[in-house]
Amino acid sequence: MLSASSHGRTPAAIRLVAAVVLLGLVLAFPALAPDPFILSVGVVIASYAALAVAWNFVGGLTGYISLGHAAYSGLGGYGTALLITEAGVNPWVSMVVAALLVGAAAVPIGIASLRVRGASFVIVSIALVLILLLVAQSWAGVTGGSNGLRVPRPFGTDVLRPEQHERFFYLFVALTLVALVLWWLIDRSRLGTGLKAIREDEDKAQALGVPTFAYKLVVFVVSAFFTAMAGGMYALWFGSLDPIFQFSILTGSYLVLMSLLGGVRSLLGPVVGAVIVGYAVEFFKNQYGDTQLHLVALGLLLALVVLFMPDGVIPWLTSQLDRFRPGGTSIREVDAAQLAEERKALEEAKR
Amino acid sequence: MSLSLLLQSLILGLLLGGLYALLAAGLTLYFGVMRVVMIAHSAFLILAAYLAWFFTKQTGLDPLLSLFITVPLFFAAGYVMQRALLSRLRPATLTMMSVLLTFAIALVIEGGLGYLFSGTQRRIQLGYSGASLELWGARIAVVKLIAFGLAAISLLALFLLLKKTRFGQALRATIQHREAAQLLGIDTDRIAGFGFGLGLATAAVGGTALALDATIYPSLHWHWIGPLMAIIVIGGLGSIPGAAIAAMILGVTQALLQIPMGTTWAQTVFYVALFATLMFRPQGFFGGRLAQRF
Repeated sequence: MLSASSHGRTPAAIRLVAAVVLLGLVLAFPALAPDPFILSVGVVIASYAALAVAWNFVGGLTGYISLGHAAYSGLGGYGTALLITEAGVNPWVSMVVAALLVGAAAVPIGIASLRVRGASFVIVSIALVLILLLVAQSWAGVTGGSNGLRVPRPFGTDVLRPEQHERFFYLFVALTLVALVLWWLIDRSRLGTGLKAIREDEDKAQALGVPTFAYKLVVFVVSAFFTAMAGGMYALWFGSLDPIFQFSILTGSYLVLMSLLGGVRSLLGPVVGAVIVGYAVEFFKNQYGDTQLHLVALGLLLALVVLFMPDGVIPWLTSQLDRFRPGGTSIREVDAAQLAEERKALEEAKR
Repeated sequence: MSLSLLLQSLILGLLLGGLYALLAAGLTLYFGVMRVVMIAHSAFLILAAYLAWFFTKQTGLDPLLSLFITVPLFFAAGYVMQRALLSRLRPATLTMMSVLLTFAIALVIEGGLGYLFSGTQRRIQLGYSGASLELWGARIAVVKLIAFGLAAISLLALFLLLKKTRFGQALRATIQHREAAQLLGIDTDRIAGFGFGLGLATAAVGGTALALDATIYPSLHWHWIGPLMAIIVIGGLGSIPGAAIAAMILGVTQALLQIPMGTTWAQTVFYVALFATLMFRPQGFFGGRLAQRF
């Protein structure tokens, strides 16, 4: 089975060419960016893409919507920073170790929140962010409290800011690609089929013998791991951590909005959403500064997406375009004899 | 630790628990009628508090009088919200999408409050703000007593409404079994809308009670939603008495833990209890049939 795309099936060769062109454009971005500011916006968007793809392991495959993925990215960031400053570990090793630790911590969290259906999952995901924010702000001895934490740079001082942006851009793109490949593999595996069965109807999936709990837990942990990797990488790039922004439900909701807007059922949906929403967020911040209006805009956009395009913007656009096309019918353009011949040919080919 | 300090914390915890119980009852109502986790509940709470503050600032009257405006207003808003927004969502993904939709509403309220009134902390100054009663060495602020009284009266009224009136019967029937209620001739869509309105009315009452003795700011609702969510899960989703009992117990525990741990760490009791509940008794402690499946 091809992964469901509402367009019908584009030939594989065209898809491949499109993917290569797209990747080429992405990789050429640092060279094309006119100034370091645009480049830094690109890094932010790339980090959002990595986070959104990581989120989509749970959100897209199982349909469980987590508003609290900032918990894992924040933990990844703090873990990376603390391993570097307190234990003197190499920055990149710290990032991976921190992500592994977060993955391990996600096991009990997943057990608690996935045992029951939807509602409790969302509640726990929100509660987790709130509790971590409290801890990060209060436990000043370790986390630096509200002042935040400085993260040492992984590259030497001879590497200038624009150069740093460029390197981190490629790192985020690489992380996103790894996550995308894994998502694609899971999507086509038995695990993925089971997960999608859970998404469509958990009771039926369970009745058919899908080990629903174990499957959900596996992708939950994978998702937490990749989210923590992206969080750790962000910490290394940004250089400082502020609990308010690290453990923020708002950040978590950005990821949800990106994935939903792009389409949770498709491979590249979250990336598309990250580019649109990430750009919009940066544009809004740049134009209107830090007023509270960005909350209103975000809220309205999220409500619009939830109400009118819960499957994402691309399926929505195609369905809008379909209105202008001739109405879909089940009338075949071939007659019965031709059809019989086609089938015969197919049978022959199989032998 | 002196005995009077302990007593004071105990009383303050009970008073706070009353407010939690009222608000959690509202959340339970939404969940009951529509299986909706209403994230915006606490945002409406803060909105009501702001309206009470604004009302007092503009008119100089007692904030309690703002209830005559906010309660009907919120009831209508809840009805409209359910009929116009939430009932449009697809039934298959209702639980998840309603969370996002109500989350979006919460963001709009928070952003709107921040834009209109700025992020400055606000507080209502009243003639009796500083007054307090002394009871065996424990000092209890009068405003806290009023807030508790308001919550208790509303909760009692809600209880009587649900148990003694025809409307309450219809609402409970809708919560228990929607199709069966329809077969009995109950207009469940309208009733669900009214249920939502009632839930939002609890936020109006709670907000006014909150405005009496708390400093308010737009992002305050995040501090409320976590504990309230924890309460309804621990009480068993969908059970109003369960939510009320859990609210009282957690309110008192929080107040008592504040003495050795300080306010911030004491807040974590809600989350610890939430995780423990989900680990060992995911359907909550007082939940009935409803809680089993969510």
